[in-house]
Amino acid sequence: MLTINLFNGLVYGALLIIMCSGLALIYGLRRVVNFAHGSLYMLGAYIGYSIAGYSNFWVALVAAPAIMAILGVLLDRYGFRLLQDRDPLSVVLVTFGLLLVIEDFVLTVWGKSNYSMSVPAALNMTIDLAGTSVPAYRIAVIAMGALVAISLSLWLRNSKIGLFVRAASTDPTTTAMQGVNTDALSAGVVGLGTALAGLAGVVAAPFLSLSPSMSSDVIIDSFVVVVIGGLGSLAGAFIAAMVLGMIQALGAVYLPDAAALLPFALMVAILIWKPAGFAGSRT
Amino acid sequence: MSIQRTSITTVVALAVGVAVALGVGSNNVLSLLTQAVIYAVFAIGVGLLLRQNGMVSFGHALYFGFSGYLVGILLQLKVMPAEAAIVVTLLAVTLMAFVMGLVIVRVPGVAFGMLTLAIGQMFFLTASRSRGLTGGADGMSIEWPDTLFGVAQSQLLKPSAMFLICWVTLIVVLLLLTLLLGTRFGSITEAVRDNEERARFIGIQTLLPRAAIYALSATVTGVAGLLSALNTGFVSPENLHWSLSGVALMMVVVGGNKVLWGPALGAVVYFFAKDILGSYANHWMAIFGIALISVIVFSPSGIAGALAKLVRGQGAPGALARILRH
Repeated sequence: MLTINLFNGLVYGALLIIMCSGLALIYGLRRVVNFAHGSLYMLGAYIGYSIAGYSNFWVALVAAPAIMAILGVLLDRYGFRLLQDRDPLSVVLVTFGLLLVIEDFVLTVWGKSNYSMSVPAALNMTIDLAGTSVPAYRIAVIAMGALVAISLSLWLRNSKIGLFVRAASTDPTTTAMQGVNTDALSAGVVGLGTALAGLAGVVAAPFLSLSPSMSSDVIIDSFVVVVIGGLGSLAGAFIAAMVLGMIQALGAVYLPDAAALLPFALMVAILIWKPAGFAGSRT
Repeated sequence: MSIQRTSITTVVALAVGVAVALGVGSNNVLSLLTQAVIYAVFAIGVGLLLRQNGMVSFGHALYFGFSGYLVGILLQLKVMPAEAAIVVTLLAVTLMAFVMGLVIVRVPGVAFGMLTLAIGQMFFLTASRSRGLTGGADGMSIEWPDTLFGVAQSQLLKPSAMFLICWVTLIVVLLLLTLLLGTRFGSITEAVRDNEERARFIGIQTLLPRAAIYALSATVTGVAGLLSALNTGFVSPENLHWSLSGVALMMVVVGGNKVLWGPALGAVVYFFAKDILGSYANHWMAIFGIALISVIVFSPSGIAGALAKLVRGQGAPGALARILRH
């Protein structure tokens, strides 16, 4: 019993890692908290669902994030770049307006009914894990979360573009003066962040159902994660995502009445201790 | 604003309310106006926080729904008369927001907005799931007694009376806020908003005034929640949902936040726009989303700001020219 709950916590944590790394990347470069991130996740999931209907899951897993990446680049070019001198709160409100537009778009195109996406055949089995049988697909979700976390960390730490991204997150003006094209860099990073939201959507679709409320559920948890972890800190977000995933999974079983309040309690405790989050203050 | 101008404005505003209540015959228009006025009070609460603290709350529906639920539960338990339940509810909302404010107003900038959203949504989930106390997702009806403050319920629920109650509440809230913000407390909160560090240097304790403004904005929103509970006799998790907080914030931005009544204007515009849209109302989210983006991009001070500019003689052409030059 405990094994399966811990396992489900890992699965949800992995999904949050994919979501929150996108949020943290966009915040790092553009200082924008993207309220539409949850809606982009939902849009990615629905697009993935439609693509999987025409072909299969694996095509959707690649194509939906690619479409979202293009959307992200456009969002940066015609949104965030034009608004970069504005008060951060107005930019947040713009992303809130965008959220409303995307939600309406999804409702108009796909309607209010719930959909479920079938698990790809290759992963449609159970695997025995320490005496408990678990769906193979969920193991793949954990692997995907780990893959995203590790490859992002290595990319940021070791590649030249990763160095530029870290520099621009710390001080965009000086970085631009050194000859880095920060506008192109930002467009790329916002594209990547949006693609990650779409990827999270496609990955989530076979084990969470697709519904118009899927965006608000996950964006709330993502916000808790990035606030606890410290805005813009990838490592903080990774740790906080795992902690929150565990708390959600264990709370739902052992404290079902208070499960919704547990992340809130954790967040308040962390913020009393450290108002900028436990890995915060890098901004 | 001088005392004289304030009192004249108050009297005129009250007279306008009476004239509307007596003059508008259509019950549909009156109930639309009543709704607009209730949300105007809600939006003033959200706007107050932004205006005095410079903080954006994405979770004020928490206080709107919470006050409705609390008064409903108090009336259901029959532990006190309805009048006392109203007072207790407002005190409880204020106290809860003040304690919460002490923790969350320390969180800087945008993270504060994300926190308020998360907290509000957790209350939404709790209210939707705990069927025993709140009726779960179905909501609960509020059992108002036959007479409230000595007035029979049947009199109270007439559209014109209901509108007048809400309108007078709106004017009283605006009046009290105007008076309060004219005092030293108002100046302190503005100093803290503009530069917290400097305010600390000149010896101002900065946490308490910010938490106090947060609590006050929650109280105002709680008043709106009570009005809504009286108007509809019903409260459901929808009253706590983040989309409602978003709508209130939209009213603040669209109406403008430089003056206290800006958000109220936004609320009226919102309800009439929604009514006029009629058959397109299914797409109101997209329409208001685009409206929100346009206002922020082209007229950051909102409708009230644009009106003030017009009055001062820097009309729209000037504003347009400035945008075109950029």
